Amino acid sequence: MLKPPERGFFVGYFKKVPADIRRLMLVFIATFIGTFAAAAFVLALDTDSPGSGSFAGPPPEGEITGTIDLLPYPVLRVAASPGSPARAIMLAGTGKFGVSDRAEKLKGKSVVVGGFFVKRGDLEMLLVGGKMKAEDEQPADLPVPQAPEDLGRWRLTGEICDGKCAAGAMRPGTGLAHKACANLCISGGVPPVFVSTAPVEGRSFFLMASADGGPMPAWLLNKTAIPVVLEGRVERRDDLLVFKVDGQAKDGGT
Amino acid sequence: MSVSYQPVIWNRTKIIYDAVLIVAIVAYVLIFLKLGPMLSPAMAETNPPILRMRAFGSLALILLTVVLAIGPLARLDVRFMPLLYNRRHFGVMTAIVAATHAWYVLAWYFAFSPTPQLLALFTSNTSFAQVSGFPFELFGVFALTILAVLAATSHDFWLSFLSPAIWKAIHMSVYAAYAAVVLHVALGALADGRNAALGVFLFASLGTLCALHLIAGRRERAADKAGSPEVDRTGWIDIGDVSEIAENRAIIGAAPGGERIAVFRSKGKLSAISNVCSHQNGPVGEGKVVLGLVTCPWHGYQYRLEDGCSPPPFKERIRKYRVALSGTRVLVDPEPLPLGTRLEPLAIPEDTLAAPAAPSGG
Repeated sequence: MLKPPERGFFVGYFKKVPADIRRLMLVFIATFIGTFAAAAFVLALDTDSPGSGSFAGPPPEGEITGTIDLLPYPVLRVAASPGSPARAIMLAGTGKFGVSDRAEKLKGKSVVVGGFFVKRGDLEMLLVGGKMKAEDEQPADLPVPQAPEDLGRWRLTGEICDGKCAAGAMRPGTGLAHKACANLCISGGVPPVFVSTAPVEGRSFFLMASADGGPMPAWLLNKTAIPVVLEGRVERRDDLLVFKVDGQAKDGGT
Repeated sequence: MSVSYQPVIWNRTKIIYDAVLIVAIVAYVLIFLKLGPMLSPAMAETNPPILRMRAFGSLALILLTVVLAIGPLARLDVRFMPLLYNRRHFGVMTAIVAATHAWYVLAWYFAFSPTPQLLALFTSNTSFAQVSGFPFELFGVFALTILAVLAATSHDFWLSFLSPAIWKAIHMSVYAAYAAVVLHVALGALADGRNAALGVFLFASLGTLCALHLIAGRRERAADKAGSPEVDRTGWIDIGDVSEIAENRAIIGAAPGGERIAVFRSKGKLSAISNVCSHQNGPVGEGKVVLGLVTCPWHGYQYRLEDGCSPPPFKERIRKYRVALSGTRVLVDPEPLPLGTRLEPLAIPEDTLAAPAAPSGG
């Protein structure tokens, strides 16, 4: 048998509140609001730094001239000039779009590109703004980019990210919460990068490619944003390293 | 109680209830989004839309935890009953906060893409075969869908339209929503390993809710299991001693495996009715006789002692039972009378009445 209630009786539409209920409710209200305020404080401050990536402004000259590598993703090859070594700059579009379609039409031409850089450490990507077109006056001889240098076969531990968000377009632009966004970016043509836990030739970020040098294999979309161990060959194109993945390590990664 | 459906029948309690809720929500959001970035460089460096989705997401988890704690708290201590009175507003607010979280997620992580936002939500991550990297967003979608259905059907119109049993069954799915939220957070923010405080809170929330429900459930189950002893072989059950019943209050008994029965004492007479309110299954026997009507402690639904019917123009009804006295023992026939059957309350004999009643609770 349940004992009858011994406390005051209150229903919401009553005008009078029994003293014992009033006392408890006043304590509850103060505790309720105080707990919410404290929880907001604690949970807000439990935020990790998104890292150093950020928008780094437009190219110093406003635009950059070079030639386009289409594979694995569009890369602008900028010839060396006095005091400036040759560069290979990854290209992405606005939003979660790549620039493969636009780059395709510019193959074999001297190209002028404008936009904004995003930069995080040695990871750099040019987000193409309105301007990406063939030079009005094409040079008689296009500069020939240096051939890729094979750096051998590597097993790398790290995380697959979309290069744009990881470089600072989103802060943070890595991690599990960002996985779906990374997949959308990569599927949309934004160059994926591998963020390695240990550097190769001083570099921790690698443009990802398939073993034959094409775009990243689709099966790797299941491996984005999580720790993973991949194997493949690494090649250097100017100042950019490309990781040509041929498989996942059997004894590592998730 | 109302004979017509209105969006909200406001009274002072509901206004205070909602005001406190809104103050707590606004305080949480302002501290998180305004004070946080001023105090934490890491927050200042984080994109505002991501801060907003974190603020509203964590807030939804806290609100859902509190709203689920109200039920067992009110069972364990009736002084928490006022929290239950307007719980549906709490639930609707929780659904709105959760929807705000989802809106920020959609407008950030799933926007700016060639794939439409909703399509992207379901197709961008298909890592169903792995724990780490599992599309945890889908648990959030599942939880939000349930919360939206519960919010949309929280009005008494739906309670009446669906019937209390079906309505109650639908609203019990809030526990499925909570389970989905736990998985959503665990496979998302926690698996990322960057939110220690959120992890502590999630497990504290889960532990607290489990403990409250287990304690309250154990108490209820023990009461039901004990039942009320059968008298001889008549089938009638002994509910207790008449002196245990405070004036205008009840004691509650139960036939083994049967429905709980409340025996009220009012003006020297006893009446036995179902302990289950026809509105939301509230514990009528924990209520009180107010102005001659049994009043449910949850939302104040009222019933006449003589027939278990709400006074006109209301149409709610609960079952009546036969009651008898054997000396000072209160006996009840656990076989209910047909709904609406009129049965005059049983007068307590003068000599028995002379025995002091239990002290009234107020």
